[in-house]
Amino acid sequence: MAQLELKNLSVHFGGVKAVQNVSLQIEKGEFRGLIGPNGAGKTTVFNAVTGAAQPTQGEIYFEGTKLNGMRPDKIAHMGIARTFQNIRIYPKMTAAENVAIGLESYPSYNAFSAMLRLPHVVRRDKEIKRLSLEYLDRVGILEYKDHEAGALPYGLQRKLEIARAMAGNPKLLFLDEPAAGMNTQEGLEMVTFLKELHSNNTDLTIVLIEHHLEVVMQLCQTINVLNLGSLLAYGTPKEVQCNPDVIKAYLGERRKTYGE
Amino acid sequence: MGYLEGIAISASINIVCICGLVILTGYIGLFSMGHASFMCIGAYAAAILTKYYSFPFIIALLIGGAIAALSSLIIGVPTLRGKMSADCFAIATLGFGEAVRIIMSNISHPYFGGARGMSGIPAYMNLGWALALAFVSIVLTLNYARSQHGKLALAIRDHQDASELIGINIFREKIKCLMYSAFFCGIGGGMMAHYYTYMVPNVFNATISNNLLTSVVLGGVSSVTGPAMGTAILTFLPEVLRFLSNWRLAIYGLVMVLIMRMRPEGLLAHKEIHQPIVQLVRFIRSRTVRSTDSGRG
Ligand SMILES: Nc1ncnc2c1ncn2[C@@H]1O[C@H](COP(=O)(O)OP(=O)(O)O)[C@@H](O)[C@H]1O
Ligand SMILES: [Mg+2]
Repeated sequence: MAQLELKNLSVHFGGVKAVQNVSLQIEKGEFRGLIGPNGAGKTTVFNAVTGAAQPTQGEIYFEGTKLNGMRPDKIAHMGIARTFQNIRIYPKMTAAENVAIGLESYPSYNAFSAMLRLPHVVRRDKEIKRLSLEYLDRVGILEYKDHEAGALPYGLQRKLEIARAMAGNPKLLFLDEPAAGMNTQEGLEMVTFLKELHSNNTDLTIVLIEHHLEVVMQLCQTINVLNLGSLLAYGTPKEVQCNPDVIKAYLGERRKTYGE
Repeated sequence: MGYLEGIAISASINIVCICGLVILTGYIGLFSMGHASFMCIGAYAAAILTKYYSFPFIIALLIGGAIAALSSLIIGVPTLRGKMSADCFAIATLGFGEAVRIIMSNISHPYFGGARGMSGIPAYMNLGWALALAFVSIVLTLNYARSQHGKLALAIRDHQDASELIGINIFREKIKCLMYSAFFCGIGGGMMAHYYTYMVPNVFNATISNNLLTSVVLGGVSSVTGPAMGTAILTFLPEVLRFLSNWRLAIYGLVMVLIMRMRPEGLLAHKEIHQPIVQLVRFIRSRTVRSTDSGRG
């Protein structure tokens, strides 16, 4: 059984058919790419799985459980974490505090113990702090632990978001354009970083949305290509790269951007 | 002395209420225009318990707070659910505030006294109690704010939708913050009842609710001691400015506008008054540790 399965998924916003009849399966431990021109519906697929958008039609199964209509926080606690195309870190909190939110999104002690700051609260808070630093270390930004997250450079904020997502101990990680807005050098660093992330967490399934073909080609074993809400192609990076439909979709989009 | 003492007790009562609102408005970011209603519920509950059932003062206050917290579910459950906007909540609190006042005015049961209210409430409240309760409320709220519960509330204020996707149960956190705020306002109401020894439902009107909200906004978001100081200032200021007679309202307004212009997140946003002291102590400690280290070396 596939870990994640989308069956004829459609998500419509009024007249906009953001996702149209998409079916795909992702196996545990895979590094899957999801590419396609702007507005193809990639983010909407993530939103549907994580509960941020309601499917108009079709079903979503994670480890055999149907996710349709489930509350987003419950979906997250089933083991699905994500980052956001437009970074959503907590700007006034420190980097360590940001990670702590992902680590303990359901508080493990009750409100009364918190008010009285009972010994087990003090202990748990210390434990949260220690684990948060561990996750910061894993993504290589431990030295920024006490920095206000909003003041960090863009690339580090991206890594912080990944650390926060990893702190929830997910089985499936969705990354929405983690290299967006970076220069070539930073983009290359991100590729190396993601390679390591996957090789250090072999059980973790990663789905990567990426606009730049080169990035996905280097990282993903297989790729789904979306265009105008529908699946256009599926295959290894090589196969996808040579697919005439894919080339047309990408060139078509490029022509449009030049025209603007 | 009695005059100053009176102001200090009023300020302490306001601080207790503000401790609740800090979590609701300064942390999770919900605005209430009717928290006087929870003071009212807490006041009546505590006063009935002490006057007619001879409950000990502090137990009566706590029960009053608990009843206020439970009653907050009446507005919380329908308005904090799902994707309801924060405006719905604000409007519901406004309506609830009026409703409680009117219901209290119309309960003809002799304990409540209808619109004439209650009198002969035991005068348990004094300066010592007031200061102690204000201090304990601040400590409890500081603890709560720095705990994971407080952090989750801040997360929701920053990015509600993303926080839910990260795994926070938005509804439960909001309900918790609302109950927290109602609990402390209920206690504040109980304190008020046992200070004045009489009360009519109309005391708990929108002006009180608005003053509470103003103090939190003035004091600063994600701060406990800022709003506590804010409400203390707002209690003392009208007395200090009394010699200006009607001009004081204009000055009051001017001060508010200036603060909003210069510090839109409030005076002590993201800070606590005692932070510099804590930092100083840490600094001195680190210095002494280093000097003993170098002494050893
Ligand atoms: N919440 C929404 N409401 C209305 N339209 C939306 C919403 N989210 C996405 N869309 C539309 O759906 C289409 C696909 O968007 P998106 O999934 O963000 O594309 P991609 O991530 O591939 O660039 C776009 O036309 C977008 O405008
Ligand atoms: Mg997108």
